[in-house]
Amino acid sequence: MTDGPAVALRRAEGTVPIARRGTASVVVTGAAAVSAYGRGTEALLSGLLSGQPAFAPVRRFDVAARRVPFAATMPGCPELITEVTSAVREACDDAGLSSPHRARTPLFLAIHGDPAIARAPEADQPGFGPEAFTAAVADRGGLAEQPVRCYMSACVAASTAIADAAAMIARGQADRVVVAGGYLVESDQFALFDAGRVLADDGQVRPFSAGRRGLLLGDGAGAVVIESRESARARGAPPLARLAGWGRTGDAYHPVQPHPEGHGMARAVTAALQRAGIAAADLGYINAHGSGTGHSDPAEANALRLALGDAAGSVPVSSTKSLHGQALEASGVLELIVTMLAARKGMLPVNAGFLGADDSCRLNLVLGEALAASPEFAMSLNAAFGGANTALVIGLP
Amino acid sequence: MTPLAPVASAGLAALHAAAAAAGLTVTSSASWPETDADGTVTPLAGFIESTFSPLLAEVAVRALRRRAQPQAPGSVTAVVMVTALGDVTTATRVAAAVDAGQRASPLLFFQSVPNAVAGYLAARWQLTGPVVCVSGTNAGVAAAALLIEDADADEALVVRVDLAVTDGDRDRAAAILVTGPEHPSTA
Repeated sequence: MTDGPAVALRRAEGTVPIARRGTASVVVTGAAAVSAYGRGTEALLSGLLSGQPAFAPVRRFDVAARRVPFAATMPGCPELITEVTSAVREACDDAGLSSPHRARTPLFLAIHGDPAIARAPEADQPGFGPEAFTAAVADRGGLAEQPVRCYMSACVAASTAIADAAAMIARGQADRVVVAGGYLVESDQFALFDAGRVLADDGQVRPFSAGRRGLLLGDGAGAVVIESRESARARGAPPLARLAGWGRTGDAYHPVQPHPEGHGMARAVTAALQRAGIAAADLGYINAHGSGTGHSDPAEANALRLALGDAAGSVPVSSTKSLHGQALEASGVLELIVTMLAARKGMLPVNAGFLGADDSCRLNLVLGEALAASPEFAMSLNAAFGGANTALVIGLP
Repeated sequence: MTPLAPVASAGLAALHAAAAAAGLTVTSSASWPETDADGTVTPLAGFIESTFSPLLAEVAVRALRRRAQPQAPGSVTAVVMVTALGDVTTATRVAAAVDAGQRASPLLFFQSVPNAVAGYLAARWQLTGPVVCVSGTNAGVAAAALLIEDADADEALVVRVDLAVTDGDRDRAAAILVTGPEHPSTA
């Protein structure tokens, strides 16, 4: 067997092959988000910079039988399709996309699935597939009827969709893609995470901290308009950020645990930096996956040390899951938006819930309060069951 | 002894067609049921109640075992899963437990996303590429082609699983191993 492109890449020892394109050609022109901090990116940024975690006892459904009752939720019982569709529309508005432009733009949507399928009569379940849900969002949002694509790869679903959209645009396969994701805290996933004993029983997420006790779920829906620089320029749309680099890898280690040395995530980080054409020291902020669980945080810290070398000790890092919670399939788009908002504002959100240093997670965490800084490049990391890892690098335009 | 009758697989035919349209080279393939002998899929340790993950693993392993050439050292293989409805059995069981006020099994937590069985396969077969799950065959094959072209994988294992939803249906699954056109394993 001849070497494939990924093998050839590793043998290139420092040279970036043409197969990995990224720098300068892909931009984000619109963004919208909803979270426990409220609707809109301003509410999200304001909540993040307040440093106050959004966790509280869940009132949306009965949690009396659960070990842990906490999550970060909006008031009431919002509908997933409504929130995701609103995010798509607002992101398109933010990008200044006309109706004809929207009608030619495909949608990549990251969700767990249609929330209604599990309680639908068996005979009706085929009507509740993820593709039908995605098509409905595209239709309501005025986007192209086809192609639509639904990503369901757990906590890397949205970030994988973003990487794919960027790669397609960088390779001239598309001019523009809207990537959206949504997860709203509901009874079934909550019950599963509770049964899996991964929820933080002290009501706080404490990424990379001594005494961390697990994750907490959080509402999140978001959308970004990703397009070629030429397409944005032709419309006169100013970029919010460049999508400078991306990487996606697998650990090949365990069904649900990350590689303890962070090998897979380190490769994702390296690939993203290569595509961006930057060195580790050029990163001014990392929005970490930082789930706040026992195994995952040290693996991620090891990955960063492996991929970034000495820079791992100096780049400011925070996991904003400590503030807005874990939005599962939507995490990648919500946290990319957080990373963009922070870089553009020049304020890096705090890594909340920190109790004290853990020697296995030594990073330059943003502690105490938000940090004033103006990163030219920033990275958003995500990891998921199956050893899946993604890294996305943004650059300010 | 009468040879076992082959069972046609529309899912596998669709995967082959999508791969051809994407310009990919199919180096190995498998399906379920492949013959009348494929009655009940072998359970997979750690996965319960639903046939989704065992079926996905079964066709994936068949395809991996049938590869004509061994995996090149350091070669990166992506796992791309395709499912129209996902693991409906697990989702339905969890909903029933919640509605009955019962606790869900912790094992259902792990298998509630398709990534877990992909991780099982990746660990056993050293598949170090991206793990992706999408909703349609064409989308899955297109995602695989892009991962190869974009140099995050040398080859991709694309697996489609469709659980029987109504009485009279059968669980069905199919898998193909694909490489880019310029890097065929037969070269």
